[in-house]
Amino acid sequence: MTDSDEDFTRPKWPRLLSNRFVVVPALLLVLTAGWNAWVVTHDHGIVAGRVLDASGTPVEGAEVKLWVFNFTTFVVKATTTSRPDGSFEFANNPSHNIQVSAEKPGKGRSARVAIRLYFASEDFVLKDPLRLTDGT
Amino acid sequence: MCKERRQGLWVPAFAGTTRGGIPIGGPFMVMAISETAAKRRPNFMGRKSTRKAILIWSFIAPSLLIFLLYRILPLAWNVLLSFEAWSPLKPAVFIGFDNYQEMFFDDEVFWQALWNTLLIIGSAPIGIMIALGLALLVNADIKGRDIYRTMIFLSYPLMTVAVAIIWRWMFDERVGLINYVARGLHLVDKPIPFLNSFAWALPSVIAANIWQMLGFYMIIILTGLQNIPGNLYEAAAIDGAKALHRFMRITLPLLRPSIFLCFVIGMLNSVTSFDLVYVMTAGGPGRATEILVTYIYKLGFTQTRFDYAAAVTVVFFLLLLAVTWTANRLSGGDAGAVERG
Amino acid sequence: MRRYPRWPIHLALLAASFIMLVPFYWVLKTSVSGENIFSYPPNIIPRDPNPFYYVDVWYAIPFARFFLNSVVVSTMTVVANVVLNAMAGYSLTQNFFGKNMVMMLFLSCMMIPFQATIIPAYLITGKLGLLDSYLGLALPMFSTIICIFVFKASFDAVPRSLIDAARIDGLSEWRIIWKIMMPLAKGAIATNVILAFIWSWNNFMWPLISTRSIDMQTLPLGLARFLSYQEDTTGALYAFCIMVLAPSLLLFLLAQKEFVQGLTSGATKG
Repeated sequence: MTDSDEDFTRPKWPRLLSNRFVVVPALLLVLTAGWNAWVVTHDHGIVAGRVLDASGTPVEGAEVKLWVFNFTTFVVKATTTSRPDGSFEFANNPSHNIQVSAEKPGKGRSARVAIRLYFASEDFVLKDPLRLTDGT
Repeated sequence: MCKERRQGLWVPAFAGTTRGGIPIGGPFMVMAISETAAKRRPNFMGRKSTRKAILIWSFIAPSLLIFLLYRILPLAWNVLLSFEAWSPLKPAVFIGFDNYQEMFFDDEVFWQALWNTLLIIGSAPIGIMIALGLALLVNADIKGRDIYRTMIFLSYPLMTVAVAIIWRWMFDERVGLINYVARGLHLVDKPIPFLNSFAWALPSVIAANIWQMLGFYMIIILTGLQNIPGNLYEAAAIDGAKALHRFMRITLPLLRPSIFLCFVIGMLNSVTSFDLVYVMTAGGPGRATEILVTYIYKLGFTQTRFDYAAAVTVVFFLLLLAVTWTANRLSGGDAGAVERG
Repeated sequence: MRRYPRWPIHLALLAASFIMLVPFYWVLKTSVSGENIFSYPPNIIPRDPNPFYYVDVWYAIPFARFFLNSVVVSTMTVVANVVLNAMAGYSLTQNFFGKNMVMMLFLSCMMIPFQATIIPAYLITGKLGLLDSYLGLALPMFSTIICIFVFKASFDAVPRSLIDAARIDGLSEWRIIWKIMMPLAKGAIATNVILAFIWSWNNFMWPLISTRSIDMQTLPLGLARFLSYQEDTTGALYAFCIMVLAPSLLLFLLAQKEFVQGLTSGATKG
């Protein structure tokens, strides 16, 4: 019933701090705050990548589409064109479940690459470039 | 554990009234000597004790209000409603036993729900027996019994809705784990549509309920086991009683209160398991898993027949009382307790 | 002690624990990999585990709102429970006029399950104008009889001389509860907090009945809605299950002792 012996000379708060009912909520709070801070600093909605053709050279002027998941299917939300070095960038992606695809008449088109983000509008850079191939 | 007797109503035992074996009467004797007589007399003299009585009443008033408002008053209102015909927009009309007549003579769903409810009550002993076995195992002198106890008890504090979803999927016909195991062990050739068959739906719900309650029963029986004085076993062993005899003659009789507590709680829990049934099967297929509680809910909030639902509720409550009273009598009333210190 | 082999006991207990824990593992597995919703035979180890179903759940439904609602209602319930039950428990340790009647009332209330009161409770809450509000959600659970008796037992164990000394020092009854009794009843408080929190967090039927708008729904309701809205086509439903189970599991693992103590000291659902 009585827990600690009443020693008034020692400060009580080290014992309080190591109490599991304090440590665990404090840890959770710290984790939540840290995660929120990370999210707030990384949610500009930037999706970047590169477009290469089948032989590996960068493709300029390819039409890149951003598809956003809308209840049951993906719909095109934005398009942009690739720069001379093949890179492209979208801003203001609103979603966490997107796809990108690239197409250039004459060079072919790429597969639709699915991107799953950890939170909506997470800044994301594609690791593998979009490769344009002939055929489908 | 000491018990409180209240006119044959069996009240669960309260831990903590004998702390470390020191009887609670000790401090009270001190109180009797040091206290003045005025406070102990039933008729009041002096404003101080009246003021104190009012203060004490004011402490108990909020809780009392909640119980009045949400237990007693609703029960009374249910009884009243069951004798009336009422819809929320029209005034109430007293119609006597018409609701009950409809329920008992014209309503097949009621009888099906009643039968399902009785089946569920009858299945409580299965879980209790399994829990008895588990408790005996956990009570043995082995390392890590706390870990086992935790692992088995883990299912109790969970949200029943989540448990229902998990088991709904485990019993699935095509991808469920139960079917996979059954087919793997070559018990069946084709998968069984557990939640879609009239025969298997209710047992599946009962199985899920037992899974959730097993840890709870085990904890109660474990507490009862640990309250049996060890010297009883030693004395019996010295007298030459074999293990089975010791179990049947010492353990089981002394566990009677715990087992019947489990039964009462298990019965109450399974009969009121709206969450599980509603999410797992919603009363289906057909009415195969409809229990009284889900029927009351559907009557009241899907068909908005508050008066008829009230009548079914009254019958439900009477059933509960009857089963609890029977269990209480079967457990020997209040005379099954282990009196200590 | 007696000499009997231990390993059969361990084996049996391991088997039992395995059966009790397999559903957890199965749900966890599906929530990270989305398999076995349509495919057969099932895999034991998930292929390509990914956490993205959790992200889906967060955005598919107003999870944050449901979570907040559950937290608010549970907190209100817990605080009210501790205060009201302590007061009532303290009253029961005193002798007062009508005490027996009150005790009888409490014990008989224990026999009335919540499910026998749903329709009038709904009507009463409607008349009070509390439908679809936090207070209406929490009010029926503000006090539970088991916890009152837990407090009573704990207060009964406080030595009478301590209370008498306090009275002689001039403390009012209210002060006695809070300054003297409660610090000595930490176990009862912990038990009360945990039981009240778990019952309120898991409560499904009452929020189902007393809320109309999606904004005020709690987690169990959200989960049931998700089931009917999404069916079980993706791992998201199971991710939702895990997200919903995690707080109860965490609380239980933190406070096992108090939880078990509270349950064994008077154990029907209030």
